[in-house]
Amino acid sequence: MKFSLSWLQEYLPIEMTTEELAEGLTMAGLEVDSVTDRYAYLDSVLTGKIVEIKPHPNAEKLKVCLVDTGDEKRTIVCGAPNAELGMITACALPGTVFPNGAVLEKGFIRNQESSGMLCSKSELGIGLDAAGIISLPPDTIVGQKLAGALGISDMVFEVDLTPNRPDCLGIIGIAREIAAIQGSRLQYPDIESFCPGQSIAKYTSVEIQNPDLCPRYSAGLLLDVSVGPSPFWLQDRLLSIGLRPINNLVDVTNFVMMETGQPLHAFDFDMLSEKRIVVRAAEKGEIFTTLDNKERSLLPGMLLICDAEKPIALAGVMGGMNSEISEKTINVLIESACFNPGSIRKTSKTLGLNTDASFRFERGVDPGGTVRALKRAALLMKGVAGGRIVDGVVDENPIPASESVIQLSMRTTNRLLGMHFDQETIAAHLSSIDFSVNTINEDSLEVTVPSFRVDVSRHEDLVEEIARLSGYNNIPTTFPLIPADTKPLPKRLTIKDQIKSQFVGYGFTEVINYSFAKRSAADQLRLKSDDPGRSVMEILNPLSEDQAVMRTSLIPGLLETAYRNVSHQIKNLKLFETGKVFFNTRGKSFQPQEVEQLSCLWTGKRVESSWYGNDSDCDFFDLKGAAEGLFHSLRLEKIRFTALPLEKCSYLKPGHSAEIYIEGEPVGTIGEVHHEVLSNYNLKQAVYTMELNLDLLIPRIPEIRKYKSLPKYPSVSRDITIIVDRGIEAQSVMDALEKIDEKILEKTKLFDVYAGGKLPSGKKSLSLRLTYRSTEKTLEDDFVNDIHRQISSVLIRTFNATLP
Amino acid sequence: MENTIEQIRENALTEIENASSADELKALSVKYVGRKGHITLFLRNISSLPEEHRPSAGKAANVTRQLVEARIKEMIQQIEDAEAISSGSIDVSLPGRLAKQGSLHPVSRINQQISDIFKRLGFDIAEGPEVETDYYNFEALNFPKNHPARDMQDTFFVSDDIVLRTHTSPLQIRIMEKERPPIRVIMPGRVYRCDSDLTHTPMFHQVEGLVVDKNIGFSDLKGVLTTLVHQIFDEEISLRFRPSFFPFTEPSAEVDILCVICRGKGCRVCSQTGWLEVLGSGMVHPAVFENVNYDTSQYSGFAFGMGVERIAMLKYGIDDLRKFFENDYRFLRQF
Repeated sequence: MKFSLSWLQEYLPIEMTTEELAEGLTMAGLEVDSVTDRYAYLDSVLTGKIVEIKPHPNAEKLKVCLVDTGDEKRTIVCGAPNAELGMITACALPGTVFPNGAVLEKGFIRNQESSGMLCSKSELGIGLDAAGIISLPPDTIVGQKLAGALGISDMVFEVDLTPNRPDCLGIIGIAREIAAIQGSRLQYPDIESFCPGQSIAKYTSVEIQNPDLCPRYSAGLLLDVSVGPSPFWLQDRLLSIGLRPINNLVDVTNFVMMETGQPLHAFDFDMLSEKRIVVRAAEKGEIFTTLDNKERSLLPGMLLICDAEKPIALAGVMGGMNSEISEKTINVLIESACFNPGSIRKTSKTLGLNTDASFRFERGVDPGGTVRALKRAALLMKGVAGGRIVDGVVDENPIPASESVIQLSMRTTNRLLGMHFDQETIAAHLSSIDFSVNTINEDSLEVTVPSFRVDVSRHEDLVEEIARLSGYNNIPTTFPLIPADTKPLPKRLTIKDQIKSQFVGYGFTEVINYSFAKRSAADQLRLKSDDPGRSVMEILNPLSEDQAVMRTSLIPGLLETAYRNVSHQIKNLKLFETGKVFFNTRGKSFQPQEVEQLSCLWTGKRVESSWYGNDSDCDFFDLKGAAEGLFHSLRLEKIRFTALPLEKCSYLKPGHSAEIYIEGEPVGTIGEVHHEVLSNYNLKQAVYTMELNLDLLIPRIPEIRKYKSLPKYPSVSRDITIIVDRGIEAQSVMDALEKIDEKILEKTKLFDVYAGGKLPSGKKSLSLRLTYRSTEKTLEDDFVNDIHRQISSVLIRTFNATLP
Repeated sequence: MENTIEQIRENALTEIENASSADELKALSVKYVGRKGHITLFLRNISSLPEEHRPSAGKAANVTRQLVEARIKEMIQQIEDAEAISSGSIDVSLPGRLAKQGSLHPVSRINQQISDIFKRLGFDIAEGPEVETDYYNFEALNFPKNHPARDMQDTFFVSDDIVLRTHTSPLQIRIMEKERPPIRVIMPGRVYRCDSDLTHTPMFHQVEGLVVDKNIGFSDLKGVLTTLVHQIFDEEISLRFRPSFFPFTEPSAEVDILCVICRGKGCRVCSQTGWLEVLGSGMVHPAVFENVNYDTSQYSGFAFGMGVERIAMLKYGIDDLRKFFENDYRFLRQF
């Protein structure tokens, strides 16, 4: 909402500076976004005296003037008929931006240099006179700023209004707030001269068929007007807040809307069939052409203003071509109505048609203000367009707005604010913005809400008014009594934090990608047609195709991040991300299944080359090591990595990827990214990724850590190397050892894997170190050797192994 | 005899001083204090001395032995230390073998900081769904259908009834539906708005807060939020509470801090106002309490919310919101 200081001053004297005014409004809840000097563009327009004048050598109608602008004398070509020697006029210097957007440049006019421009009022936007350049009194000081010489200045305020304050969508509403801040009185526009009476009933009538959509419709009539451009003051007012003047009648409707917040519409009365108004809802299939010359298909229920046979306006949104004010208009019907806010909003949203009128109606106009605005407009129209006002108004009000009366409790108010207000203070605050207040008893006040405050209906609404008028910063600062909390923090939050710091410790950098994905992400990952990752939640109104659906995996985001960084020459990356993925499991009318994931990516060098060693590329086991480190620190046991079966390898490379199981349940995958997927993401280097489902993993983390007493007796180690088929997984050997369930076998460690060399092809050797320890005694060599031999023979038998 | 031990000592010390290597010194150790060393032999022969001389001779010999032993040890150490340096000392200015840490995203960092503040104040922490129903995201928070207040938040829709949550406030409802007062909880999370330009990203992070109990007043809201702002920024920073509007609070307030860039003089970051908006807040609207069946005559409360990226931008001096989600390694590694 924009207003200018000079317009505001029509309703009350301003006693504050511009800064104080802006601060005062902001702190009263009307946040001032910007304050601009409306005539800043005149800063480079100076007063100048024509000290020499001669004809233009190449153009009959032009003159070449030498103009004294105080500091220097400028040669300026001028075509104005009234330019004459000794005249003091307005001289725009090069660089000036005119109200029409043109920029004045130094240049040549018909081969004659011209470094400036002598201007008319019209050219400078300070008057309508376009016939000649401005002529200033002869005693005007030369070389000063024109704005200073003419005494014109104005500031334009832009207020960022919250949707609850439609009363301030008119300048009078803002003036009312300022009056409360200043403690001064508001001067409402005079409408006393509007003649009461019933004559209008002889000319026209209003019939409201849907009172729920149109609780009030007031109309007035003005006959024998002459339509034409508005006088300067009216055009200037509209221009000051960025509205374009159209003609005197339309300009008045806009002016009064900006003044009062009540949107008005003017109809060419003679275009109305049977000269009457019918307000009704649109029927199925109706089509209507709005003022902007666009044909609109209407939905049933959209409210229309009609005459006896056809629609003439889309109620509260825009008028129609068929009844528009034109140069030929002689008689005018003025509409000042109150429409159902929800209905107007729906119509405006559905048609994508937002107007100053719909903006106000959907927030709620003053149901008690239609007639006042109507009279104001009629009187102004008569002033600028002549004609005569028909006595009286039509005022159909099938659903009168009920007066809102609220019992205000002092005790509750003070409790909610933490204040100690007395009744007088509260009454004074509320009265300052036109609420009327009666004392009921010691605790209660009866407050009547003025009709323009459609946002105030409850006790708490009044509390807010009191709080903001007394100033939030005058409310004390206290601290609530908070009893000691006994609840532990949710496990998933503390664990997530732990996982994050763990990965940071392992050298991974956290990234946060958008939760969106492109539709093609599933294809880029080579997901099978039945992969749950294809059940995406689509967004109806995405910002771009890249963000059309909710992601079902963190991997695309990580791969894209890797690509972006690699293209910045950062090729060694260790990244991780935690976040939700979304599966459309029940259709788009239900919330998706949200799953918290942890994903990480490792690409490039494990270590970079340095003075102490050469570089080496990272591989599967680097990432697996990080995973194992994480599981270990979370005290997760019974973890298994098993080769990812071919049918489950979508974005991962078969034979180089694993599925991760905890207690027999799959919780994630780890492996090398498939070369096709890499090329889908324009990556040319090997990439390893891991995905973990935290919702499955976190509940399995043991709550309690149990201490095991330290061993009393020494341990003994024995090594064994067995040669087995290459296809045998190391894990199966470990499992076999576990299955033997030997009491004194404390630990087994695989310390070497070897293939090739002297070994037959298709074979590999596995070297294991077995640690034996008894909880009861020191083990004797013979005893250990015996058991070690037995274990060795089980392994040899189980895996058809040989010894080296 | 006395002369002899003194001579032995003198000879020994001279030889020790002249020794130039650890091996030489070890040989001297054998020569004087070894099993057949001069001093050892001297001690062994003490019994052949007249009885009255034996104690003093024994004492002198023992002192000599300790002296020689100590001196040899000292010399060996000196020589070894000198050798450690001369025989190739390491260049300590070379870079160490890297134990490279990763880094937390700045949003996580600020989130953790805010959580830490509230943990100390005895608040719970809760999370909730990012894809919400219209009821939780709007209706229950007193945003009626077809109300312009919905324009305050550009919404991503999945269907008529399902939206990407535009704020973390739906969790207020979810928590109050499950629990009775006293409630004090913060709710960090991702939120989505259909908006993307220099100062908006379609996804960002908020931390929501809610306190409900008997006798909670606006002055308490001011107290908690003042503490919060002071802990996040610094104790000295000025802040102001400014009337605003949110459908689910009444009265509503926005909290501004004095611009951290220009200290109130007016600059580009604060749009020349000298103030920066950091928090939205207000007393919980009675309509919200009615939706969760809380007795408004008994309970009152306040709620607040802040944008995590905004706080991070102000704290770290980040000038472009989009940087948070570009995940440029060179950006991320600075935190």
